[in-house]
Amino acid sequence: MTTGLTTPVGGRVSAPERGRRLHLARNFASLLVFLIVIVQVYPLIWLFVTSLRPAQEFAGGNAFGIPAALTWDNYARAFASADLGRYIFNSLVVTGASSVLIVLLGMMAAYAIQVLGFRGSKIVMGAFLLGIIVPVQIALVPLFINYSRVGLLNTYQSMVIPLVGFALPTSVYLFVSFFEYIPKETYEAAALDGAGPFRVFFEITMPLSTNTVITVVFVNGIFIWNDFIFANTFVFEENMKTIPLGLQNFIGAMGSVDWTATFAAVCITVTPLLLVFLIMNKAIIYGLESGATKG
Amino acid sequence: MLPGRSRASVLVFLVPPLLLYLVAVALPIVQSLVLSFFSWDGVTDLQAVGFANYVKMFTADPIFWRAFANTMVYLAVCLFFQLGVSLFVANLVSYAGRGKEVAKTLYLLPAIISTVAIAFLFQRIYSYEPPGLINQILSTVGLGDLARPWLSEVNTVLVAVSAPEGWRFTGLYMLILYAAILAVPKELEEAARLDGASTWQVFAHVRFPYIRPVWVTTMIMASTYSLRGFDIPYLLTNGGPGQASELLTTYMFKTAFRSTDFGYASTIAVFIVIECIIAVGLILLVLKRGTDNS
Repeated sequence: MTTGLTTPVGGRVSAPERGRRLHLARNFASLLVFLIVIVQVYPLIWLFVTSLRPAQEFAGGNAFGIPAALTWDNYARAFASADLGRYIFNSLVVTGASSVLIVLLGMMAAYAIQVLGFRGSKIVMGAFLLGIIVPVQIALVPLFINYSRVGLLNTYQSMVIPLVGFALPTSVYLFVSFFEYIPKETYEAAALDGAGPFRVFFEITMPLSTNTVITVVFVNGIFIWNDFIFANTFVFEENMKTIPLGLQNFIGAMGSVDWTATFAAVCITVTPLLLVFLIMNKAIIYGLESGATKG
Repeated sequence: MLPGRSRASVLVFLVPPLLLYLVAVALPIVQSLVLSFFSWDGVTDLQAVGFANYVKMFTADPIFWRAFANTMVYLAVCLFFQLGVSLFVANLVSYAGRGKEVAKTLYLLPAIISTVAIAFLFQRIYSYEPPGLINQILSTVGLGDLARPWLSEVNTVLVAVSAPEGWRFTGLYMLILYAAILAVPKELEEAARLDGASTWQVFAHVRFPYIRPVWVTTMIMASTYSLRGFDIPYLLTNGGPGQASELLTTYMFKTAFRSTDFGYASTIAVFIVIECIIAVGLILLVLKRGTDNS
């Protein structure tokens, strides 16, 4: 797997020689990483460049070269042909509400299971863990039927409920793993001071959990912001559409495909998450790494 | 257990999350199981059909088997990127000098783009008329004969709709594996290297055994996520041309919401769940055998 580093098998190499080879290998590995990153990111750069490329130039065959001119026209057409602000607002509501619920409910369940403890807590934990491998498709038909019975189709709740439900298992799991590390003495001392389970939850458990909260929010936030399948199944009214759904019918809304304006719309809708990602990338990367390696 | 807790306090903390979990996940699973034994178009009365849906699915529905075979190819392509390429890149990054943090951030970037945007992007990349990125590169390097409409040819469409899903999460799994590699004790690798082990030997005998548990977690994540993959094939080709890129998930979705055959769609959904459970079981089984051997 690791090309680029060749140390002769058998036979020791002198220390300076080894150092020099290591240095060479490092440079070679860096170069390869650089090239791979370029290939990985090129499509996204192209997407951005295309959103600034004059529509005639794109249609006229020069779709991939360096643009002859740059223009903001595509952005103007993107804003004119779809209510992008509405989509972004809806996505913010759904992502915000879901994140709050995933953190709060996950923390509560983990607190009951791990800190308070009760008979059958292992069974409840098992039931939650099982949810990690259950594919979301199983819920589409039943939820669609249930929603149409109680009139929940085309609402924020119709998206928030399954998004939270299917994210809850990992959230509970991460909080339980974290609560295991809080020493029992902390609780015992608090109990001696007369603190009940509620005060302990709000004054000890919650403030200590900040890092896990960040992990849970980022791991789930990206997926929720981009959720397509629940929105596509439960929402069909224009004013309730989230970004992925709004983008999807962006093409239909204009009859013929206006690619440069479409890519401008994509860029606009990607921007909020991109900004958060670039500003918080250390925390996000830390969260993703610890989120998975704990499993 | 917390001293001074009461039954009531346990219930206050446990009931709200459990209730939501029941409504959103547990109840729908039960409902799907029940529905899979009925025939229902959503309007007329439910009709109990016993195992007829299952019999039809396994014995009389060539589209189901086509979709199942396609799903396996889709899974293989995704795993190639998410387990193979990501492991390769994670190792490379671990050997690289400066710029690791920037490389990690950039490499993860596709994971935050919505599937709808990715579908737009790849529609252009695969395009034949006007020539998309791939066809332009082919003709530039003199392989113009290979240019083709990647998404409308039966032989290429399945891999073409699978690759974007594999590509977009390569960075995520690379990060996870890289974090695991960082945890490998440097002294172990150094000692092996001083004994004259090649980089490949260090990897195979020291590094990989050490990160194996994380690799298995990665494998479970990547497999179950790929088996439920839906968005990109649905958006790019909607299973077409014909059934050439139909996955079980897109087939299930169409059966439910195009043909409004809720009973049969539930049967397929139940199969998708069982498929995921079997996949996880198989991976854990192989892992157990692997650790017993070593």
